[in-house]
Amino acid sequence: MEPIIATQDLKKVFRLGKVDVPALRGVDLIVQEGEFLAVVGPSGCGKSTLLHVLGGLTSPTSGIVLVDGNDFSRMNDGDRTRFRRHKIGFVFQRFNLLPTLTARQNISIAQDIQGNGFNPHRFDAVVDMLGIRPKLNNKPYAMSGGEQQRVAIARAVICEPKILLADEPTGNLDTENSQIVLNMLRALNRSFRQTLLMITHNPEAAAVADRVVRMRDGRVVSD
Amino acid sequence: MVNRMVLQNIFHRPVRTGVSILAVAIEVAMVMLVVGLTTGMLNESAKRVEGVGADILVQPRGASMFLGLTAAPMPIKIADRLVEIPRVADVAPALFQFGSSTGLGLIYGIEMESFNRVTGGFVYHAGGPFEQPYDLLVDDVYAKANQVKLGQTLNILNHDFRVVGIVEHGKGARLFIPLRTAQDLALASEKASIFFVKCSDPAYTDQVMAAIRKLLPDKQILSIREYMSMMSSNNLPALRAFNTALIAVAVIIGFLVIFLSMYTTITERTREIGILKSLGASKMYIIEAILREASLLAAVGILAGFAGSVIVRRLILASFPTLSVELTVEWALWAALLAMTGTIIGAFYPALRAAQLDPVDALAYE
Repeated sequence: MEPIIATQDLKKVFRLGKVDVPALRGVDLIVQEGEFLAVVGPSGCGKSTLLHVLGGLTSPTSGIVLVDGNDFSRMNDGDRTRFRRHKIGFVFQRFNLLPTLTARQNISIAQDIQGNGFNPHRFDAVVDMLGIRPKLNNKPYAMSGGEQQRVAIARAVICEPKILLADEPTGNLDTENSQIVLNMLRALNRSFRQTLLMITHNPEAAAVADRVVRMRDGRVVSD
Repeated sequence: MVNRMVLQNIFHRPVRTGVSILAVAIEVAMVMLVVGLTTGMLNESAKRVEGVGADILVQPRGASMFLGLTAAPMPIKIADRLVEIPRVADVAPALFQFGSSTGLGLIYGIEMESFNRVTGGFVYHAGGPFEQPYDLLVDDVYAKANQVKLGQTLNILNHDFRVVGIVEHGKGARLFIPLRTAQDLALASEKASIFFVKCSDPAYTDQVMAAIRKLLPDKQILSIREYMSMMSSNNLPALRAFNTALIAVAVIIGFLVIFLSMYTTITERTREIGILKSLGASKMYIIEAILREASLLAAVGILAGFAGSVIVRRLILASFPTLSVELTVEWALWAALLAMTGTIIGAFYPALRAAQLDPVDALAYE
């Protein structure tokens, strides 16, 4: 079976003023569909950059990046945006909910952007699975960190993406809420065969995944 | 959903929203009131001249459209020659003066009998016609604006005049004195600034004008119809330039405020824009959301501008009853179009900037 993610000698170099900063120095990575992968490593090792490239938020400098059969290295920003809209969901460390919208609206806007209209059945299924129905009319400032992250997860999965990319999803949560969120991600993976790639520096969080990839200095050092 | 997001964004920053709406409202009100005031004053002045009832105006060559701004008055004997022209019913001479006890105002020096024949006579709210050289008639609008009562003494043209009559407005000037007195004060004995010519039938106007031109080739002869059509800002380059300049200032102010407002907005919401991009929002989606927000601010501002224009018009008329402010649907639409266009243009650069933000940088923005 074709892997859902395949990178070969992936490099990403950032230009900061007159200085080139290599964030990824040749990453080879394979992720199968339905797999729950954790990427761990020290700060500055390139974990988040890898996530951003795989999510199409930024383009690779060189190398091959195949995501669900699409070569990101040959796609422009518009094409990657269109792909991301339909195939990729993001969960961030800082939740990144829109502060002026309620939980319901934060989730719905993902469907609005996708352009397939509001799907009430999918909405209800996701909301009930994540246990956030009582909070649907709350704005982010009226929710705890754990609740906000669950809303963010709901927003990420409402459009049934092929791949869920989570950047330190428990980084801003206490132990109890971290466990709740990790359990939710695990359930998504188990119940819906959701392909999940999670960045974390927390070994306990990484232990929840099927497989752990370690990075250092822009490279995969163990898989 | 994007409309809901736009609305929430607008309510989230009420002061910024209020200032933006106010700027657009001021822009719209300024356009409507500037045009309304200039058009209103022109039209009101023209209507009063039309109200004299004459069919033809005879003035010195090169006379200004604004009756009163005329030098070199004509010999009054011209009236006798005009009356002899076939189809001329009556001729009323008038001498223009400027001055009033309460600011600048046009004063007609008139012969009561000939003026009454041409105009059909004054309608008196109080008092009656001149009897003495320093008698004065004022129209009701002037009387109300300046709280002038019958029998009151007003100092105009450096002389004391007694108000002997308050007349219905609409017959040329607001103040009338005897022609002989006006001539003495202006040192223009046996002179007149204008002859109001009434035809036996308005249908003979062109015929009579031709005859007058033949008789008086060096005079400016205008039918009342021609005079009325000339009294528009289109025929007054200076006034048109004045209006255009003020309208341009209003539009630029509105544009700049919206530009700054939306620029501040996208700076404040950089992370939110990054979030939308991470969800797959296209550049057009981002641009559309920002332009919708700006358009909604403009729409509310336009409505507020309309309301403001009406209120300010009432205030102006209450304070200065002799002024005239015409608010028209045509200029309301123009003001709305200018405001909305300025808004879209002002918001476009910030919208474009937002759309081009790097999503990774935007998400990391504090």
